[in-house]
Amino acid sequence: MDLGLRLSVVSALSLLPAGALGLRLGHLQILRHGALESRASGEFSRVTQEAAPRADILDRNGRVLARSVPAWSCFVDKAMVKDADAFASKLAPVLRLPAAELARKTRSAGRFSWLKTKMDAPEVEALKRAKVDGVGIAPIQERVYPNGELARGVLGLVGSEGRGLSGAEMTLEKRLRGAPRRFQLIRDGAGHAIYQSVSDDGPSPEPVRLTLDRNVQYLAEEALRTGAEKHSFKSGYLAVQDPRTGEILAMAAWPSNPLKNPLVQDAYEPGSTFKIVAALSAVDDGLVKPQDTFDGEQGKWQVTPGVTITDHEGQGLMTLAQILERSSNIGIAKVVDRVGAARFYRMSRAFGFGVKTGVALPGETAGELKPLSDLTKVGLAASSYGYGLAVSPLQVLSAYSALANGGTLLEPKILLDDKPAAKVRRVAGASAIAEIAGMLEGVVERGTATGARIPGYRVAGKTGTARKIDPLTRKYSTSSYVASFVGFLPASEPRWTILVILHEPQGAYYGGLTAAPIFSQLGRRLLTLESVAPDKPADPAVGTARRP
Amino acid sequence: MMSKQMGLGPGTAARFTGAGALVLFLCWQHVQATRLGYQVEASRKDALRVGARVATLRVELEERLSPAEVSVRAARLGLVPVAPDALRRLPEQRLSSPGLFSRWWARRRGPLTASARS
Repeated sequence: MDLGLRLSVVSALSLLPAGALGLRLGHLQILRHGALESRASGEFSRVTQEAAPRADILDRNGRVLARSVPAWSCFVDKAMVKDADAFASKLAPVLRLPAAELARKTRSAGRFSWLKTKMDAPEVEALKRAKVDGVGIAPIQERVYPNGELARGVLGLVGSEGRGLSGAEMTLEKRLRGAPRRFQLIRDGAGHAIYQSVSDDGPSPEPVRLTLDRNVQYLAEEALRTGAEKHSFKSGYLAVQDPRTGEILAMAAWPSNPLKNPLVQDAYEPGSTFKIVAALSAVDDGLVKPQDTFDGEQGKWQVTPGVTITDHEGQGLMTLAQILERSSNIGIAKVVDRVGAARFYRMSRAFGFGVKTGVALPGETAGELKPLSDLTKVGLAASSYGYGLAVSPLQVLSAYSALANGGTLLEPKILLDDKPAAKVRRVAGASAIAEIAGMLEGVVERGTATGARIPGYRVAGKTGTARKIDPLTRKYSTSSYVASFVGFLPASEPRWTILVILHEPQGAYYGGLTAAPIFSQLGRRLLTLESVAPDKPADPAVGTARRP
Repeated sequence: MMSKQMGLGPGTAARFTGAGALVLFLCWQHVQATRLGYQVEASRKDALRVGARVATLRVELEERLSPAEVSVRAARLGLVPVAPDALRRLPEQRLSSPGLFSRWWARRRGPLTASARS
């Protein structure tokens, strides 16, 4: 055979496997290229996601109220655990958890189970060093509140998945929640990360600033706590607002509950604090003059046959100012009789009762006002002293702020921004407002609220004591009350409107004896905190500096 | 003639050398990229750890400055909240006296002192 032919045959035979390999290679590289490429990239490269921190919540002075800090959680993949007890005993000292608890979690149903959440960096390092099979670590963002329980009713709560469940955390969810960062991760054969590139880095959310003042909030909670020790009430609320801007400076509830803000979500019968509605309506429409008197009927008056109104003390003739000072139900019922249902209803609406205030907090109640058609003679009389209707504490606070600022109802603000105060409407004429504000000063000076006095300062306000409805009998209880006081100070140039509501105080239950002293305590602290000059200089209790 | 055909010309040798150098460079580049990748990853983890520590320290600082904490420390030092009737206010016209002469005169008159219930 020709040498060339033989060489060609040998070459062909030896190249045949190579040809087969080439064909196979072509098949893999060309025909199955897409599927194999995605499989390979799945082995060595994948996209991971990192939880983004939520934005900080700050108080009006930039102090942190809520912040997210990086933390880690560890979990067990039960498919990789052969002996749950051995696994648990190995992990227990590292995680500082009882071995029995870890074993129970490992045996529970499902392949995946969290073992420990909110771990810090040293704990994670210790866990990594322990090299326990079946344990995984996931980065999370832990929400912390550096001031403990301070303002938790306003701030709310964040769930384990990083979503706001209540309070400002819920209403401001969109502003607080950061976009998660996505990473392209390349791993080596051992599964270690070689390189991560940020493929989608969303913008970090800006901190949200609330109108709350951390110090004022603390003082409010402290005053409420002190009051609880003294009067053993079932629950108490306290709110502070700047009447000039509508900004809420503090919202305190005792006992504290991060899932609920009763100042916004609860409605109650306000009792005598509602008397300003009838009084202002009467003065604004010129129906009652300062010297006009009303007969107090010695504390018992039959409005209609079968319906009698009583006062806590028998009174004779009273002016409107005295009606407010002595908190006479009979007196204000006679005033509202002169005012009429339509005017009274209109004024109630003007003060914002019966509609939501629009505050940026969840679950706000609108309260309930009787419709005009239901305001019969008896219904109107009861409404004039705050029975037969429901209002939210925030509505009462805003109404008194309107009195304090000269008659403009402002939208209560919880988010601090550069926008001017949102004016809802003008409630009444300036002179009528000034007259009622003067009468409210008389309530503190000579009336039912002497407990709210602050030496050296002019204080205006109104007490309220309302019977609560007994849930069993559905009638007004004779033993449980809502005591309240709402006022503003310094009355010459009001800077704070303060509302105190106490549910079921024990012993003394009048608003003037229970809620007013809490107002006074907080007022004193605020005045000293802000170094406000006394506006009642004739008061001998206040010293002045002089040269020797 | 045959040996001349089998030998590599200078151009071919240069091309082979160049190709080899390129392959070596690509290998070196790949190794370096991997090595730097590990470094970047380690640095990222460090940054994460340090960031977490900074965040924790900031929270601790806020906790220390929280009113409740400050109040407890103040009470431990024997400090009590001041009452507004303990405030002593200086007459404003004396403080706002402008000019060198008035300041010199004020200094001559001696320091201001506070006294309760004048």
